[in-house]
Parts: sequence; C-alpha cells; structure tokens
Amino acid sequence: MNRLAKIYLGAVLLFLYLPILVMMAMAFNRSALYEMPFTFDLVWFKALMENERLLQASWNSVWIASINAVIATTLGTLAAYAFARYEFRLKRVLQLLLFPPITIPWLIIGTSMLIFFYWTGIGRGLHAILLGHVALSLPYVIVVVGARLRDMSVQLEEAAATLGATPQQAFRRVTLPILAPGVIAAALFAFAVSFDQFVISYFLAAPGTSTLPVEIFTAIRKGFTPEINAISTIIILVSMSLMLLVARNYKFGGER
Amino acid sequence: MNKQSRQAWTIAGLTAPAYIWLTITVLLPLTAMLYFSFLTATPMGGKEASFTLKHYIGFFQKRIYWYNAWRSIELGLYVTTCCLLLAYPAALGLAKVVKGRAREAIFLLIILPFWSNALVRTFSWTMVLRAPLDILYTYPAIVIGLVHAYLPYAILTIYVSLQSIDDSLIEASRSLGATRWQAFRRIMLPLSMPGVLAGVFLIFVPVIGSFMEPRILGGKQAIMLGPIIESQFTSIDNKPLGAALSFVMLAIVLIILGVSSPAIKPYLEKSS
Amino acid sequence: MSRVDVIGASKAYGALKALDNVSINFADGEFFGLLGPSGSGKTTLLRALAGFVDLDSGSISFDGERVESVPVHRRGIGMMFQSYALFPHLTVDENIAFGLDVRGAPKAEIEQRVQEMLALVRLPGLGGRKPKQLSGGQQQRVALARALITRPKVLLLDEPLGALDRRLRQEMQVELREIQRETGITAIFVTHDQEEALTLSDRIAIINDGRLMQTGKPQEVYEKPLTVFAAQFLGDSNIFRGSAVEGGLRLGDGTVIGTAGRCSGIAVVRPEKISVRADPETPRGNVLRGEVLQAVYTGASVTYRIRTAALGDVPLLAFAQNQSGELLAPGSKVVAAWDAGHTVPVEP
Repeated sequence: MNRLAKIYLGAVLLFLYLPILVMMAMAFNRSALYEMPFTFDLVWFKALMENERLLQASWNSVWIASINAVIATTLGTLAAYAFARYEFRLKRVLQLLLFPPITIPWLIIGTSMLIFFYWTGIGRGLHAILLGHVALSLPYVIVVVGARLRDMSVQLEEAAATLGATPQQAFRRVTLPILAPGVIAAALFAFAVSFDQFVISYFLAAPGTSTLPVEIFTAIRKGFTPEINAISTIIILVSMSLMLLVARNYKFGGER
Repeated sequence: MNKQSRQAWTIAGLTAPAYIWLTITVLLPLTAMLYFSFLTATPMGGKEASFTLKHYIGFFQKRIYWYNAWRSIELGLYVTTCCLLLAYPAALGLAKVVKGRAREAIFLLIILPFWSNALVRTFSWTMVLRAPLDILYTYPAIVIGLVHAYLPYAILTIYVSLQSIDDSLIEASRSLGATRWQAFRRIMLPLSMPGVLAGVFLIFVPVIGSFMEPRILGGKQAIMLGPIIESQFTSIDNKPLGAALSFVMLAIVLIILGVSSPAIKPYLEKSS
Repeated sequence: MSRVDVIGASKAYGALKALDNVSINFADGEFFGLLGPSGSGKTTLLRALAGFVDLDSGSISFDGERVESVPVHRRGIGMMFQSYALFPHLTVDENIAFGLDVRGAPKAEIEQRVQEMLALVRLPGLGGRKPKQLSGGQQQRVALARALITRPKVLLLDEPLGALDRRLRQEMQVELREIQRETGITAIFVTHDQEEALTLSDRIAIINDGRLMQTGKPQEVYEKPLTVFAAQFLGDSNIFRGSAVEGGLRLGDGTVIGTAGRCSGIAVVRPEKISVRADPETPRGNVLRGEVLQAVYTGASVTYRIRTAALGDVPLLAFAQNQSGELLAPGSKVVAAWDAGHTVPVEP
C-alpha cells in the first residue's frame, strides 16, 4: 500500500513539475526554437539583460510587491488584531467581506476596478495596480496573522496588563514580538501574491508601463522571444523560494 | 470617555484602514460596474448614455453568449472532475499512508507550484504541449493547463479533511467486520466530503472566470465567457456589455455558491 | 498589603447571572480561597477584582478606595494565571523584570530586585533561561516572582496549582503559603479543589451559581456547613431528611436522631464522624443498624457503604480509620454510631 501511494504521489509530482523543469531546461538551451540536442548556454540570460522592457517590468513588479507587502501587512495585522481580541456586532459582516476578493473571479474584480478607476479619474498605471494588489493581499494577511494571534494566548496580554503595562506597551513589548513570525510570513505571502498577480495587473496596466507577468503575456501573444524562458525561470525560482521561506517560518514559527 | 466607547473607537481604528481600502478597490468598483451594465455606452468624454437592459437581454437572446457561458461551465465541470479524481488518491496517500518527514516534504512540494506564478506555469505548458505532444491550441490543452494549476488546491482541501478523520474510526469499523473498501466507502468517503466540496467550490469558480489559460493554451479554441468579457474591455471596447456579462458570470458563480453553501458551511466553520 | 472589600457585585452575561449580589471582605494579609464548581462565578469574581471584568453593579475597594473604574494596568495587583502566561520570547530575568521595566525603573534597581525575587522563589541562577526550558514547577515560581516584584497590593491566583502533579502540588502549596506569610501580601485564589482550599486558606468562601454560599475559616465551614450544597461540595456528607422534633429529627422509618441545635428538617453528618462496628452492643449517641453493601479499602482508611432502614435506598457513607488492617465484609451486620453534636442542621 505504501509503495502504491508513493508511486502515485511520485506521478503527481512529476505531472506538477514536468513543464516547469522543461521550461527551465530550455532557458539554458542555445536553440531558440527548442530544437534538440541540448547545448548549455547562457545566451538568453544575457539577452535578458539587454531587454529594456522586461527589465523595467521586473523592477516594477518588485517595487510594487514590496510596497504592497508593507501596506497590506500593516493594514491586515491591525484588522486581524481587532478580530482576534474583540467581540463586536459587525464582526461577522466584516469577516464575510473578506471573501469577495478571493472568491469572485479575478477577471470580474479586475474589470470592475478598471471601470471604477477610469470613471473616477484614478486611471490606470502602477498606482492603480498597487491599489488592486493590496486589496487582494489583505484577506491572506488577515488569515495568516489571525491564525497566529489565535494560537497566542490572550493571557499573555492580560499578564502584561496586571504587571502595569498600558495597552500600547503590551502590544509593543509582548504581542508584536511574539507575533513576528506570523507577520513576516504574511508579508512574504503578500509579496508573492503581488509579484505573481496577472489578471488585475493586466487590466490596470497603462500602455508602456506594466508588471512582469503582463509583459510576459504580451510577449507570448505577440510571438515569442526566448528571453521569456529565462525570465520565467528566474521568476519561478523566486516565487518558490519565497514560499519555502513562508512555509519554514510559519510552520515552525513560534519561539525562534 | 467611558470604556465602552473607547473600545468602539479602538476597534474602528483598527479595522477602518483595511476596510476603507477594500471599499474603494472592491465594493465601489463592483457597484460601479453594476451601474455601467445598465448603460448604453461608456459615459465619458462627453458621450451620452442612457439606461438600458439591452446587454442583459442580449445575453439571454443571443445564442453565442449562451454557448460561451455553457462552454465555461463545461470547462469548469471537466477541470473540477479531473482535479478531484486525481487529487483524492494523492490526498489519501498523503494523509493515511505516507508518514513523518516524507509526508511534510511531499506536501510542501505539491503546494509550492500552486503558489508560484500562474502565468509562468501556464506558459511552461506551451513548451511541453507544442513539441512532443502537439496539442497546443486545442481544448484538451486548456483542460490540462487548468488541472495542473488547480490540482494542488484540490489535494490540499481533501488532505485537510482526511487528516481530521480519526484513525480509530477506521479501526473501529474494521473491528466490526468491514472490509477495507467498505470502511472507505462508508466511513472515510462521507467524512471527507466537506474537503471535496470545498475543493469543488474553490476550483469551479476561478475556472469559470479564467481567460488567461484559455487564451494561451487554447488560442482560437478559447470560446468561453472569460475571454469574451476580456475582449469587451480591450480589443472591442464595449465596457457596458463587458460589465453586464461580468455580472451574468457573477450570478452564475453566486448560484453555484448558494447551491453548495449548506454543504460547505460546516467545513468552513470547523477549520476556522 | 491591602484590604479588599467587595459589595453587592453583580454581573450578568445575557440571561446568565455570573455574579449575583456578592459581598465579601478580604482582610489585609489574608490568604483567601474562593471555592466552587466550574461555572460558579468564582473566576468571574477574581477577574472582576483584577479589572478584566466590568461589574454591572456593586463596588470593589482596595483599602477603602473604589477601583471599579480603574483600568487593569493601574490597579496595582499581581496575578498568577493557570497557564502561567510567561512571555515566551523573554528570558526568566526579563519576565520577572517586566513589571518594573514598563514603569521605567532604573536598571540597577531592576537587577537588584530581580535577584531578590529569584532568591525568594528559590530559583537562583536560572535567570538566563527561556520559559520553555523550565519545568512546570519552575515556571510557576517564575510567574510568582514576576507577579510579586512590583509589590502589589493584592495577589490574585487563578487555579494556580491545577497543572501540577500531586507531589509537586503539595510542595508548592507549602511554599506558596510561606512566601505569602513572608511578604504579608493579601492573596485571593480561586480553586475547585477542596483539599487545596482547606490547606492553603486562612478563610474560604463557597460560591455557587454566582452567589456566595458561606464564608469562614476552613474548619468552621467544613464542620458547620450552612447548606446542603456546602456540605456536599466541601467533603462528603450523609443527608438526613425528616420532620423536626424536640432536639432532633425524626426520620422516614421512625428513628429519631439527635442534632446539634434546632433542625428544620435537614441535617448532615460527615462520614468520618461515624464509627462502624460489628458487635451488637449498642453504643452511645445516634445509632443506626444496617448491613454493609460495599467496603472500599483505600490504604489509610476504609470506606463503608451501609444499607440502613432509616435512609432506605441511599447508603450511609462512613470512613473508618484503618487501625486493625481488616475490613468488615459486605453482608455483615453492623452498627453505625456518631455523636449527636456532629449532626449539623442545614438549610436546603
């Protein structure tokens, strides 16, 4: 039974990783048209360095993802704290409102943002993309930080109060340090969500400036440059490493 | 200020920033789009626009929209079914057979691609589907791409609910004389339903709304609601129609939600 | 080192009355136990004293000064939590120093006081460790040191020894008592463990359903319970119901037993007050004849359940000291006797 399970799981893993591995391999192949035999070459990575558009788009993605991480984590942590430590009438409603961004197809969210920003003059562009990304990241941040808050006994904050700490002191000296692994995990999560986000960025990108996923999409549609392979390889390695970091930090998170 | 109102202000202060953001970026836009869907044209740049139901009526009247909507739902059904069929054994193996370090490692490996860049993953399929297999730009290609994208999600939800089934329940049923298969069918399968249903819900909806995978992997075969809506906002520029179609899609999604929610709710409450 | 006065404290959660007009006075320097079953309201009362619960009505005063509207961090209390609530990210030293640290006390003073505290709770040298590296007993001492360092007016303890195993509990009980005496601090603790309440307290209060049932010295409350509840919750008891007669109680089968004082219809007798003998000679005092239903050997004593005509289906419970090393077997005819002075009249 064990053997069977492992074989099947192996097959599943193969299915999941095959295309990615092929793509990564092709990024190092000299041929532009995926012709075999395989000759190792970094030519596409070098070409990447000269591709202004892709580089600019990469920079935009990183920049937006970082700011998104900061904003979403801050806003989300505050809200998560309110949910974890207080009971109030609107709580249920507010928690329900976290669902739309992740359950409604991003196509609809993206197009509605496009309409609204267009109409109200906010317009398209990197700032619009940032607005959208934070909205998408918030539910994840609130869930991640919320889970960590739940694990953290409220008695710790109560103990701090009995020892004379004001609510602010207690938050700063007790809650925040203990929460840190969860907050960091949430920030990395938010970064990844923004960095990988395509649909919303696609609709909100202004002609000329966009994020990396959007650039890649356009390039694929237009006919295709092998540098895409190179940059895709880099992206996927970045995304996966980020997620590994989150998993490590969060799963074994607790006392460092 | 007494304690009650002080607390109310604190709560408001903590939650307001996040929710104001969500209002501006999600709630108001959705409302705006609803409004747009009833207009004859985009009310900008001096253009006159009046109230009309023609977009919605158009959806019900024109066969092409029905057809596309159906194709989207059909795609959802295919992808969801394939995902569940493939995911269940994997989740079962992970939850009940493989143990310890191996389990953690495999689990992480399965989840990792899911959290990486969807676009890049879809793109990577074009490599494989083009050269040796030569099925790029066909309907099966779209299905494969989407199954690949959402399989980890299905494995995750089923795994979580299988994990919560106490091993002693199975042992008890075996001690009462049930065969392996009976124990599975009568005990494990029903108890894992919440996970399965959560998976259905979490896969079906995004698949219906997808347009990127169909376009990249299906090319001309991407005859679905998603790509049609997308083109209303880009190449065709008929935003009110796009808005109306979006809401039709949203309605489809909500109906699915409404129908499946009694089954989902206990699972959601348990895991919160 | 404060007197604490609670007057008319009431708190309701919806339809549930957690506290119903409770009034207690805690004397300065007293070790006071709040005893009651779960859900009785004892923890609510403790948390109200701490400031985590706002009373609907009533007052709480420390040394005559009202504190109900004073927030927790300004009440000057020390609290020990059932889970200890040690800050996992701080060392033992930092945990203990916390109370002084948030007040901005000078470093030198903090260091000195921390060392004092570590000596007081007998944990010298462990200052650099983190809580998770300590045993349960050690963690508890750290929690105690942390609570005491600020020299609080009142020390509140929420089921402090609940998580410890039996022997450790007994050790800690003794130490807790000693430290309390040394510091002279007023300590109020909550427990559902009657043995603990009896061993530690100068006085105890029995609370049930949000109401105060009885207050007094442990011995008083144990020997002279006022209600059936008090008699049954604190220790075991035999309950006799009947009609009041001159100097006693007439039971269902006609037997009359003598009571200590006037009885209105119910009286209780503690099992350890009853002697059980097999010989047919009639002893003095209240006497019931019966047959042994069950004899449970518990080492130092034997617990007898005896069927009597007077009590009918309810067995008479008696604890006999194991002096002879032998039990009276089930089925033996026995004579149970006790002093009338130990028959305590109670209210329902």
